[in-house]
Amino acid sequence: MSQNQSVWTSIRFWRQSAAWVTGFAVILLILLTFDTIGQITMGTDADLKNGITKRVPAPTVINYHIDYKYDQKRGHEVPVIGKKEPFFGKEWSPKEAKELLHLGKLTSQAKNCMNCHTLLGNGAYYAPDLTKAWIDPKWKDMIAMTGSKTKEEAMVKFLMDPSNNATHGRRMPNLKITKDEAMGLVAFLKHMSSIDTNGFPRGFSKGVEEFKAGGTYAH
Amino acid sequence: MLFEKFTDVVPSFWGWLNQGPLTLTIFLHTIIILPMIWLYFKEKKRLNGK
Repeated sequence: MSQNQSVWTSIRFWRQSAAWVTGFAVILLILLTFDTIGQITMGTDADLKNGITKRVPAPTVINYHIDYKYDQKRGHEVPVIGKKEPFFGKEWSPKEAKELLHLGKLTSQAKNCMNCHTLLGNGAYYAPDLTKAWIDPKWKDMIAMTGSKTKEEAMVKFLMDPSNNATHGRRMPNLKITKDEAMGLVAFLKHMSSIDTNGFPRGFSKGVEEFKAGGTYAH
Repeated sequence: MLFEKFTDVVPSFWGWLNQGPLTLTIFLHTIIILPMIWLYFKEKKRLNGK
């Protein structure tokens, strides 16, 4: 009788299989979590000075020129941390940069930027994606519009009075952002633009010709 | 492309695993199905031996 008994109807077999799959998945997910933590851990100021590439650079990346270059091997643009450039006219120490970035992050949360914008893939697409906002060539127009000398200055002026500096029909409302908060936001956005997001969002900031040439808009 | 080139910033086994759909599929099927085959024959032996 037992010679013809099917294994497929055996509860024991399925129980053991389920236990194996569940157990293995748990272990795999734990290991993948640790791998992810390693990849997204913020770099240090020393990494920047020594030219060590990190997916998420240290806050002091705001002291550097941020550019992008098309990488043939990876098939998308990758961040290039260039030479030092003053940010709001000075070089920020690691402590100052961290505090400024923190203020920017808190402001972005308090003012609910994600209600309209997208940050690193989270948020809405009513307003422009802010993931790479710092390298958006359109800020050049804002420099002229606000009579500013630098991009960061123009961004601060825009953020403090967006509805009167609108470049689009969908006007950003005035969120009563203070000057310090606006500076924090600009630092937050500059840092975000330096994060290696595997080419997300696709083809940001570039025209087709620039993209083909592998160059950038930047100076 | 069946097999995609490894293009991650930090080369690692886990990065390789997540590169394309095929590498992950082959890996998961190997790791899940092979022990199940063993479980199947173990169970068959047990049932038929009763």
